[in-house]
Amino acid sequence: MFKAMLIKEFLLVLRDKHALAALFVMPAVFILIMSLALKDVFNEDKALIEYAVVDRDNSLESYALLSKFRSNKMMTEHNVSENFGKPKEEGVQFIVVIPKGFKSQFSENEANSTALQIEVASDIGQSHLMLFKTQILSSVMQVRLDMLNLSHEMQDHRDGKVSKKIAFDEKSMMKIHYAALDEDEKPTSTQQSVPSWIVFGLFFVIIPMSTIFISERKQNTLMRLSTMNVSLPVLFGGKIIPYMLINQLQVWVMIAVGMFVVPLFGAAPLTIGGDISALVAISVALSISAIGLSILIATVVDSVEQATTIGGIINILLGAIGGVMVPKFVMPEFMRDFANVSPMSWGLEGFLDVFLRRGTLSDVMYEVVGLLLFGLVSLSLAAIIFNYKIRRVA
Amino acid sequence: MIKINNVVKRYGEKVALDHLSLEIKEGTIFGLLGPNGAGKTTLISILNGLTKYNEGEVTVFDLPLVENLTAIRKRCALIPQTLAFYENLTVIENLNFFGGIQNIPSATLKKNIAYAVETNRLGSMLKQKASTLSGGQKRRLNIAIGLLNDPDILFFDEPTVGIDPESRNEILETIISFKNENKTVVYTSHYMPEIEKICDEVAIINAGKIIKQGTLESMLSNENADQLVIEIYENTMEKLQVTCAKMAELSIIDESSLMLYGKDNKIVSEALAVLENEKINIKTIRYGTTTLESLFIGLTSKGRQDV
Repeated sequence: MFKAMLIKEFLLVLRDKHALAALFVMPAVFILIMSLALKDVFNEDKALIEYAVVDRDNSLESYALLSKFRSNKMMTEHNVSENFGKPKEEGVQFIVVIPKGFKSQFSENEANSTALQIEVASDIGQSHLMLFKTQILSSVMQVRLDMLNLSHEMQDHRDGKVSKKIAFDEKSMMKIHYAALDEDEKPTSTQQSVPSWIVFGLFFVIIPMSTIFISERKQNTLMRLSTMNVSLPVLFGGKIIPYMLINQLQVWVMIAVGMFVVPLFGAAPLTIGGDISALVAISVALSISAIGLSILIATVVDSVEQATTIGGIINILLGAIGGVMVPKFVMPEFMRDFANVSPMSWGLEGFLDVFLRRGTLSDVMYEVVGLLLFGLVSLSLAAIIFNYKIRRVA
Repeated sequence: MIKINNVVKRYGEKVALDHLSLEIKEGTIFGLLGPNGAGKTTLISILNGLTKYNEGEVTVFDLPLVENLTAIRKRCALIPQTLAFYENLTVIENLNFFGGIQNIPSATLKKNIAYAVETNRLGSMLKQKASTLSGGQKRRLNIAIGLLNDPDILFFDEPTVGIDPESRNEILETIISFKNENKTVVYTSHYMPEIEKICDEVAIINAGKIIKQGTLESMLSNENADQLVIEIYENTMEKLQVTCAKMAELSIIDESSLMLYGKDNKIVSEALAVLENEKINIKTIRYGTTTLESLFIGLTSKGRQDV
């Protein structure tokens, strides 16, 4: 009896293509994506830090410092012009400015006037920033020690005095500034993580939406509606609007949790740094994108089980590719480029603009247009497939 | 009311409807019979504007179907075999939704909902979720939704599948009542007794063609048949068995009818003599098959094909 049960269960699961995909293909693809995304994090020979330097001192000391930076395997230097933009625009995580008078730091204690100025991309996490600061401190220390040794050697040859006022504290050596934020303002972990989960949460609309749509198809409710002269725009519109409202409610509930619930547990509260109009635009556009994909999946697949499995797999994979699970700044360059195929990546960038970069409507417009186009293309494809498969009206 | 003239429907290489012609008169209950894959569903889909046809003409209410689809649909209703409503909505919510989606003026809709509820005896369960209804009640809700636009033509696609005999009879009585309101019903079913019970006219479709059409009476009395049906006053099976044992061509159909295989005078005279000797009183003698089912099987057993 038990043997028969086992055989039956194996036969059923082995013949269920979607279950097999969920059990084997999805984890395999997931492992591939996550391994590629994180492959540099655990590789000591790979550069994790991408930075650019603007040297305004052009001194022996600044050259020495640059030389230390360049010999550091963890850091990759990019070129920027004197009038550089924000780190994100320059394609780097940090921009280091060696100010004029930097060399005086090595002889006098004028920390504020000669400290390195560092622009940090707003989505950089604290751990990554700490890593970078450690590299900078280490490089500066090495330059100072080199200079000190040089001074001692020279002392033997002349009667000059060596300055005793060499500062080794972090503040005297560098001054950190997050792009688009006020002086001394830092993004919190809440600011950095909430956008990811908003994006991920919005795309979960795929599951309820597609399962209801499939049930309507299977039960011939959609066919009945067609015979009642219900047009495709009414049919799709009747789905898009309620789910868009649900998505907006999701966004504000998640923001409210970040603002009011998270602080109750000791974490920093969420603050909306950018424009509300930008937040609304990006969340509406992301919602249309998610709904378009949901309807497309619902028209392509043939059962609720398929919709649940495929919808879930697509959601997780888009999240993994799009930087929801692993921040894009730790991904290798080709994976960062590949992330752009995921609408979750565009949505995430838009939300990061609003939460971390004080983004305005114009700052998120690129992502908004992209998401709207994705949603419209998905809906158009869904309409074509729907007409072909279901309606075929004479 | 519905005229189908030389309609051809192809799915790639396969011909689903092969120059099919059919006329359905106003106020009739028209049965559409055929084996699986015969083309019944394709025909119903075409009449409801759900499927394109390749050749021929279809007119409904004397209007060409394709050009007047929206107007025609407003006067028709399809009651599908599946329970095409929302299980998580209550009965009244379903009725309000399907009425509201058809842009029926609210006063008319209210009246039509009351009619649909009354006709299908749903009054006591309006606030019940559809998922909690019994199989028969769900079928009645499925029909009620089809009545919301007060249609002139109702297309029923096997509306009694999977329900108990009592519920089936209730539904059939409801469908028969539509005749009094001069509604035209097109009814497809695999249950021959249902067709026999409710339909005025029947068409048997096989391999995309109408192979037999007419009133039920004319279909069952076939002068070319090789057998006679002898209807008798009800008798005991024991006595009928004894009687039939006396003549090889005679067999029992049921307690009130016998079948005589052969129709020449000698056999008929002999059978009448046997029945007279056994004191079995004859009601009528007619040519043909006894039931629609035997006619259907006889007609469709050759040349079956799946389309």
